[in-house]
Order: sequence, then structure tokens, then C-alpha cells
Amino acid sequence: MDFVFPNEQNVTWTVMIVLYPYITGLVAGAFIVSSLYHVFGRVELKAVARFSLASAFVFLLFAPLPLLMHLGQPQRAFNIMITPNFNSAMAGFGFIYTAYLIVVVMEIWFVMRHSFIARARGSGPIAWLCRVILLGNLHEDDSTRAADHKIAKFLAGLGIPMACLLHGYVGFLFGSLKANPWWSTPLMFVIFIFSAIVSGIAVLIFHYMIVARLNGWKLDQPCVRSMTKYLWGFMIIAVSLELLELMSIAYKQTEEWEVLDMLIREKLWISYVILQYLVFSLIPFFLLGINSLFNLRDRITNAMVWTAATMLLVQVLLMRWNVVVGGQLVSKSMRGFTDYFPGLWEKEGIAVAVVIFTLPFGILWVFNKIVPLFPDAVSRD
Amino acid sequence: MGDKRNTSRREMLKLMAAGSALLVFPIGPLLASEERQHGNGAKGPYWAYAIDTARCIGCCACMRGCRDENDVPEDVFRTWVERYRIGMDGEVRVDVATSIDHIFEPIEGDVANAFFVPKLCNHCEKSVCNQVCPVGAAFNTPDGVALVDQEHCIGCGYCVQACPYGSRFINPHTHMANKCTFCYHRITRGLAPACVHSCPREVRIYGDLNDPKSKLSILLRQRSYRLLKPELGTHPKCYYLGLGREVV
Amino acid sequence: MDTKPPSYRHTTRLFLVIGIALVLAVIVRSQLVPESFGEIGHYRADAIEEATQFELRHLGREACAECHDDIVDLHAKDAHARVPCESCHGAGAKHVAAEGDGEIHRPEGKQVCLICHRMLAARPGEFAQIDVEAHFAFVGVEDPQTLCVDCHSPHEPLFMDRDLRQARLHPLIHRCRDCHIGRTDDTLPRPEGHPAIFECDYCHAEVAAGFAERPHNGVRCTACHLFFKETESAGRILRDSDPRFCLLCHRDAPFRSDDAPPGIDWPDHRETMAEDDNDLDKRCIDCHQDRIHPLQTRTAAAGEE
Repeated sequence: MDFVFPNEQNVTWTVMIVLYPYITGLVAGAFIVSSLYHVFGRVELKAVARFSLASAFVFLLFAPLPLLMHLGQPQRAFNIMITPNFNSAMAGFGFIYTAYLIVVVMEIWFVMRHSFIARARGSGPIAWLCRVILLGNLHEDDSTRAADHKIAKFLAGLGIPMACLLHGYVGFLFGSLKANPWWSTPLMFVIFIFSAIVSGIAVLIFHYMIVARLNGWKLDQPCVRSMTKYLWGFMIIAVSLELLELMSIAYKQTEEWEVLDMLIREKLWISYVILQYLVFSLIPFFLLGINSLFNLRDRITNAMVWTAATMLLVQVLLMRWNVVVGGQLVSKSMRGFTDYFPGLWEKEGIAVAVVIFTLPFGILWVFNKIVPLFPDAVSRD
Repeated sequence: MGDKRNTSRREMLKLMAAGSALLVFPIGPLLASEERQHGNGAKGPYWAYAIDTARCIGCCACMRGCRDENDVPEDVFRTWVERYRIGMDGEVRVDVATSIDHIFEPIEGDVANAFFVPKLCNHCEKSVCNQVCPVGAAFNTPDGVALVDQEHCIGCGYCVQACPYGSRFINPHTHMANKCTFCYHRITRGLAPACVHSCPREVRIYGDLNDPKSKLSILLRQRSYRLLKPELGTHPKCYYLGLGREVV
Repeated sequence: MDTKPPSYRHTTRLFLVIGIALVLAVIVRSQLVPESFGEIGHYRADAIEEATQFELRHLGREACAECHDDIVDLHAKDAHARVPCESCHGAGAKHVAAEGDGEIHRPEGKQVCLICHRMLAARPGEFAQIDVEAHFAFVGVEDPQTLCVDCHSPHEPLFMDRDLRQARLHPLIHRCRDCHIGRTDDTLPRPEGHPAIFECDYCHAEVAAGFAERPHNGVRCTACHLFFKETESAGRILRDSDPRFCLLCHRDAPFRSDDAPPGIDWPDHRETMAEDDNDLDKRCIDCHQDRIHPLQTRTAAAGEE
């Protein structure tokens, strides 16, 4: 079992392509949390409503960066919109991304217009920037607020299918490749969306708790408990779907299973079975489950939920890794495997990935300097 | 299966079509296209390969020829040679020439069968690689050759993932998708592709499927052949003459 | 919450900006589509023309013949007739452009020949394959460093005295390997009950019987009567009377062992043995025919065209 086509010795889609669906997943998940508040009126999520919207925005800004890092000819990136081949799942990216970016920007504009106006009334470069963002119109009264609210609600609703589309299309892109048995499944679309929601909620909990601690804020406990339940629910769906996919191919014992079985046992045993399922799914499942079913003390709940959220962030990253890289380890000869691990300093290496993943958090910090993302935060004392 | 049952009806339809067609235009072309086995029925040539694996001696001259002709970088391959060895226990073992200097060494142990299989792009009629290219840089020419537009490719690698045959790669120098071009610059000048040209054993036969008198068309009518991964619906145009079922 | 009816006037600028941006994007996009894009299919039609522009590197035998017509002619009649020059020498365009000044590959060493001729189970049975050890033993080569080219010229490996393509068609001669796929030797012991095989002595009984009584006994017929499989049922069989062909085994060379086939010092041997000038054109078989096998019905002279 070592027959690999000679062109498969180098893996084409690297850690950048692992990072890309990971980041769009965070976008989709964070946006859906904000929509839960704006559209579905889950008022307990108000504390993180703006934060989640802003998170979706900054991650969305950086989503194309790993793709550009990966492209062989990044200066031709716009060809994807100039001459899109609509027979290709990938051709949709440019348009879906642009449309979604417009929706998110508008959503932010309408949701935070009040705060922008407050900032624009002052002086200095930030006020000037806010006036540009507001397009020079600082008028505000109850009737404009009512309009903003209505439009924001509409956009938040519209954004949900678009978030699913932006992220689901990545799943479809993998799932529709008939040449690759590890990817080729219609379930991929759905699996990607639910794992996206999991990662989105998880990153909000993870980040919110860190920010609250650093600033000495009191955590909005009902919000945390609500997010805990959402996270638990969505992770159950996501992991069930992943297991369903695995079990159905394993149970059907098709020709492909022979090679996939070996892939799981020999190449992905640690990253897939041990880490993704046994460690980073099972432990968060129990941690979140306990806190969803029982009312523990706040301190304990918060510690457990933060741990679970952080672990789920890793779980989703592992899932992306196991899908994107795992699928490429199987030779199309179905008779062998190749190997891949990114280098630290190469163009598509770990260091670049870490930088790309850290940048959105920095932009979010700047964002918060312009418009407060936690206007209702109260100090712990 | 359905063919036989429908024959009479099809004949009827054909007669009716021919009858009505007689009224307006000559029916020659209509009938001719019915008899066509391969090819796309267009006016010009429709290029394809036949590979007679039973003749291959695994010398890798095709790989050297391809590299010389097309400046293919090291470690990536537009064509390559595989050696299949089927043991007495039925186990299939395959080794691949992974450099142009590769020399297949004798391997100890009994084999029930052993043979070489040269591989190259199948220039599929319904290429997945063309379907998935997001920018329209991968295409099939009207004469049936799958090419990559080196002025338009963005180097995303989607086509590399989509090709079931491992025929595509990202060129490490140009950072674009690259593959066998059927030596388009040679066949359009009436010359054989470099791999065909270099082969000392006439293993590779290239020709025009639209020409029923081409050596290729004649061979395909005379010999049995197999296509690689036909179940994927790519309609490959590399016809492997008398190929064993073990080959993927 | 808000009791007043909503007013949308403050949104006009936003929608105007987005609208203008979208229209601009559409206009810019339409300007950026490459010229010939979509003329034939969803691709740049000019890319087809561009693909034809690549320079030629392999020029073919005709180009070689412009300067090396002697070698090309030799090559065209011998066992390597179907091996293109550029198969061993690499693409010739640079060599031609430099008007023959270097830039061509000159393969060296035994390994180069063995790329094609090494005995491998995967190689088709009818293809000439060498187990170096066995071959050296057969022709009595002692020095393992001896190169293939010490005896065989790559351009004229078997010194055929006639064009291979003119050799006569002959029914298929089977080798053990043709059925026993994967075996690399052709001298398998024949077990009892083995199916009868079409053998040389079925048709050439007299020749075969005579051959068995003479000094070459033990050499397989096909060692001299080379057989080139051409179709599933037939091939070309060779009758070679060029002295250099005999000398492939009988040359008196320093790398030969003592128990090698008798070595001949050529062409001194012919000169010392010659009785008159006519004898200087004689070939080995003109004197030594009786050492091989009886000619059946035709004399050596009648056999030649």
C-alpha cells in the first residue's frame, strides 16, 4: 500500500486551505449568534450581540487572506469575478463573499449608527473617520432609529442564509469532488455549516470571557448560560453529522472504505479519532452538558464553559485539518498514502497561519476603540 | 441492454427522420454520425491516444522526451510509467518511475503477472478539471485537447484535486496548474507528441478519432481496450489496449 | 419600542454609494474580460493559438540525417531501427541550432543499455533482455567491467546484413516466458506431460539433426536466427551472415576467458587464410558452414539474392 501517483507526492492544498474554511466558519457562527438576538429576539444574548457582529465582520475581512497566500497567481485573483465559470463551485466565491461583505457592513452600519454618531460629534481623526463612515449625515431621531432597527433586522435575517451559503459552499466544494473518496459526500455542506456555528459560538465565549477578565467586567451570566446551551446543542448536531457520515461509509463497506479505513487507522488515528473525537469532542460535550442541565456556581460554570469553548475551537480546527489534509493523503490510486505537515516558516506555513489568525483579533481591538462593542458592560466591583 | 429492445423503434425513427430529411437536405451526414464510434463528429481532427501496455518495456524514454520537449520541472510529471506486479497470492504491487533517470530494478519473488503501464493526461471528453476551474483557464480545445491557459490561471489547485488520474500538478516555477498538452505545438504541426516520438517500442499511438482510417481508429475497432475509471463519467480519451483490470 | 413611523431618508446616501460602487464594479469587470474570451467556449480562444507557439525540441530522424546520414542509414536496417535517435541522444534542437557543436546527449556506460535491456519480469517476453551474468558466461566474457558497446554498436547492434523489415515472416516462436509470465529465464526444465510446443525441428528436422552433431550444438537456434515478434501470430526471422555477427561471439578480445568460444583475430584471419584476392571478400560461413548446420536444399550462393 504505497502506490502514490507521482504528482501526488506534494500536497496541493495546505494549511492555508485549512485556515480558510476555519475563518469563514467563525464568520458564519458569529453572525448567526448576532442574528439570534436581532432577528429571533433572544434578548439574553444582547451582551454579545454587537461583539458577535463585529467579530463576524473582522473575520470576514481576513477570510480571503489565506486564499491569496495560497494562490499561485494572487494578482489574478479577480479573474474569479471577471470570467467566472459557473460550472465550478469555486466560481461562486467572489460573488457570495462580496454580497455577504456588503450585508455585514450594512448590518454594522445600521446597528451601530447611533454609536458612530456619538463618536462623530467629537473632534480628531476618529471623529472624522466616523463622519466618513456615516457618509456625512449625522441626523438622528426616533424615526431614523426605528428605520435602522427595521433594516438591521431584515439584514440580520438575510445574512443567515448568506452565511450558510458562504460557508456551506466550501463544504460543497469538497463534497462535490468525485475523485476524492474522503470528501465526496453531499453531507459535507451540512457538516461544514454546523461545525461553523459551533466554532462561531465557541470563539465568542472564548473571546468574551478573556476580554471581560482583562477589563475587569462582570460577565453577563444569563448570556453565558444561554450561549452554553446553544453551543451544546449545535455541537451535538455537528458531531452527530460527522459521525453519521463516518458510520454510513463504514457500515456500507464500499470499495472506498478499504482505503478510508486505512486512512483513519494509519494516517489520521491521532488527529481524527483521538484528538478530534475522543478528546476535543467528548470532553466539551460533558462540560457543556453538565452546565446545560445543572445550575452550578457561576465561577465553576464559567471555568468549565471557557474550557469547553476553547476545546471546541480546537476541535473545529482539527476537523478542518482532517477533512482538507486528510482527503489529500489518500492517493487517487486508492493504493497508497502521502504525507504532509506544514513547515514553520514557509509561505504557506504555520507562522503565517498564526499571524493571519491573530490579525482579526487586533482589528477587533481597534474596532472597539472606535465604537464600544460592550456598551452595557459593568465593572466587577 | 436497452439497445436491442429499442432497435426497431430507433430504426423506425431513423427512417422517419431520413424520410423527412430527404425533403429538405441530404441525409449523408446524419447517417455518418450514427455509425461513428469515437470522435466528436466535428470537421477537424479529434485527438486521442491508445496505449499498448503489452509492448511497454519500462525504459521511461517517454518521460525523458516529455521533459526535454516541454521544460517540465523536476518532481512533477506530465507522463510517467508504472510497473504492476501481481503476486501468486493476487496481491497487486505497483512501483512508479519517479524521476527521468529511473531504472526499474529486478525484484525478487514469483509473480503471476507483471507489466508496465505508461500514464498521461486522459484528455477526457467531459473533464472534471475543466468543470471545476473557477476562471475558465482550463479548457478542451475543439480538437479534443485539455489545456491550461497560462495567461489566465490563478493557481488555486482545484483542478489538481479534481483530476481522478493525478495528471495535473502545480508547476513549482510558474505556480500555475500544468499538465500534458498532448504536445499541442507538435500535433498542430503534424508531428507526433514527444512521448510518442521518443518511444522505441511504439507503445503509444496517437491519432484522430474523427478519421476512421487513422491507425488509432483502426486499432480501436480491432482490439479490446479499457478506459481508466470510466465510472466517474469523465469519458477519458486514453484507450488502454488489453489492459488488466488491476490498473487504476 | 419606537412609536414614530420610521424615516428612511438618512439611508439614501448609503444605498447610493453601494449602488454606484456596484455599477462601477460591473463596468470595470466588463472592461477586464480578456479579448478573445468566450469566442469558442468559456475560455480565452487565443490560448489555443498560444499553445501552438511552443518551440520544437525533438526534430526527428530526418534532421539527424542531414549530417549523419551514414549512421541513420546503418541504424535504419538494424535491430534498433524503431528506436528514434532522440530516444537515446535526447532532444536535438539545441544540437542542430549550434550546428552540431555539442549540446547533445551521448549516453555512456552499461546501465544506459540496461535501461531497456535489463531482464525484468514486467518486460514483454519477446523483447531482447539481458541477464548480464548469463550473457557474459555465454559469450565467455571474463572482465565484468566490459561494456555492451565493446561488442555491440548501438547504431548497428547485430550487424544485420539485410534490412530487418525485409526479413521473412515466420510463425511465432514461443519462449517459456510467453506463457510463464514473470519468469525471467528461457531455459525452464520441461516437465513430463508438458503440452507439445511448435519446435524448430518440426519443420527443419534435417537442419536440426545436423546441427546437433556439430560444434555449435547447445546454442539455441534463436541465438543466431533472431526472431522479432510482429503480430500476435507471426514475426520476422533473421538469417545473418555478416562476419561481424559471428564475431560477436568469436572475436579475439582481451576480456574474453579461456573457455570462451574460439577467438578469431579479424580480419587478419581472413588475410592469412586467403589464397587469392577473391578470398579477401569471404565471409565466415563461406568456409565454416559445415561447423554450423547442413544447408537443407539451397547452397549459400543460391540463398542470396
